[in-house]
Amino acid sequence: MTLHFAKAAELLIPSLFHGFGVVIQATVLGFLLATILGMIIAIGRLSTIKIVRGILYLYLELIRGTPLLVQLVYIYYVVPLLLNLIASMFGFKTNIQIASVTAGILGLGINYGCYMSEVVRAAILSIDKGQTEAALVLGFGKYEALFRIVMPQALRSIIPSLGNYLVMMVKDTSLLAYVAVNELLLRTQNFASQTFLTIESYTFLAIAYLVISIPLSYFVKFIEYRLKDK
Amino acid sequence: MFRLVNLEKKFGNLEVLKSISMFIDYGEVVCIIGPSGSGKSTFLRCLNLLEIPTSGRIYYSGAILDPDLDCKKLRREVGMVFQKFNLFPMFNVLKNITYAPMRINKMKEEDAKELAMDLLAKVGLADKANEYPSKLSGGQQQRVAIARALAMKPKMLLFDEPTSALDPELVGDVLEVMKQLATEGMTMAVVTHEMGFAREVADRVIFMDKGYIVEEGTPEKIFSNPENQRTKEFLARVI
Repeated sequence: MTLHFAKAAELLIPSLFHGFGVVIQATVLGFLLATILGMIIAIGRLSTIKIVRGILYLYLELIRGTPLLVQLVYIYYVVPLLLNLIASMFGFKTNIQIASVTAGILGLGINYGCYMSEVVRAAILSIDKGQTEAALVLGFGKYEALFRIVMPQALRSIIPSLGNYLVMMVKDTSLLAYVAVNELLLRTQNFASQTFLTIESYTFLAIAYLVISIPLSYFVKFIEYRLKDK
Repeated sequence: MFRLVNLEKKFGNLEVLKSISMFIDYGEVVCIIGPSGSGKSTFLRCLNLLEIPTSGRIYYSGAILDPDLDCKKLRREVGMVFQKFNLFPMFNVLKNITYAPMRINKMKEEDAKELAMDLLAKVGLADKANEYPSKLSGGQQQRVAIARALAMKPKMLLFDEPTSALDPELVGDVLEVMKQLATEGMTMAVVTHEMGFAREVADRVIFMDKGYIVEEGTPEKIFSNPENQRTKEFLARVI
């Protein structure tokens, strides 16, 4: 058996370049969604309203207790069916579908949002209560104290952890192949099954992920270092 | 200015304040002394509703306080200085002072800065305006904290052990600033272990123990001629 890296490179690498675009799109939007959800959940879980805390706790257990891959499949295949079913119960005939990239972004955002909420929550709790009190005694409200005084300090301390989640998310975009997102893994699978260049194709795929994740993790380390400096 | 009637505060089953009744007049400097755990700080924190009393009434400027309604308004008029300073570490000294007047009193930036510089001059730190709190000594941080409280133009200041976290040689500068405020007529309630300060500056001294006000009176009476046995014992230990 001879290996044909040159041939595989010529045909697969341009395709992988297109796949990069999809990976970046899914990561950026998924991460944005995850950050927003993470903050909302974190703040909600620190709420004084018991029912809000209870609902969010249940939600977290639900999301963290199921695999990301299952969630992606659920959002892509099941949620549209459920929506159509509910609509039909009200006498509407609908054909709701979720685009595969949209499902992927939603899945990544919802899943990572839960894990990030714990990081945000811990960071908020780690800020000395005196900071909140100092803002309160100056006449600021509870939420002003949280958003203007506590959150900026908390966010600084979580930037390194958020960076690690970002690197993880880049790699987890490979799961989107299972909901028909034409990202790196799906492109490679298709190519390998057509050409039987299995060794070459998946080697290039692995390298493609390293090309993104190694520089990204060094960038995260650099940011961490800069923050420590101050 | 303040009148408290039968104030009580419980944390779970722990009764921290038991039937506190007292008053504070405009322009008065009241020092609250007593052993640790006697409820002094909790008492002070009830005055600006950082702690919500379990029962009892607080009258402020003649009207009864409703903790749900009056928090923000009250706190804008009654400033507080903490034991641990609690300056905002991400802001420089100037912004620590101008932040609340600009955000809450909608003061213009140049006016707020001018006010802040005046206050910094008053506490002897005009040259530190652009430093960050972490670069200052404890005594300097506490003086900035006093300036920050003064920037809201409060009618009264609460001091919660303002010198307890300071190195001994830094205590004097802070007490000096507080003395000056007292002579300018600021209404002050000061929880302190600085008996010298209480004796010299206070109009009235309150001795608290185990959640009760055990004895109160002029500094001369409390320090030279205390009536209560517990007051005597406490003073014998600290002086």
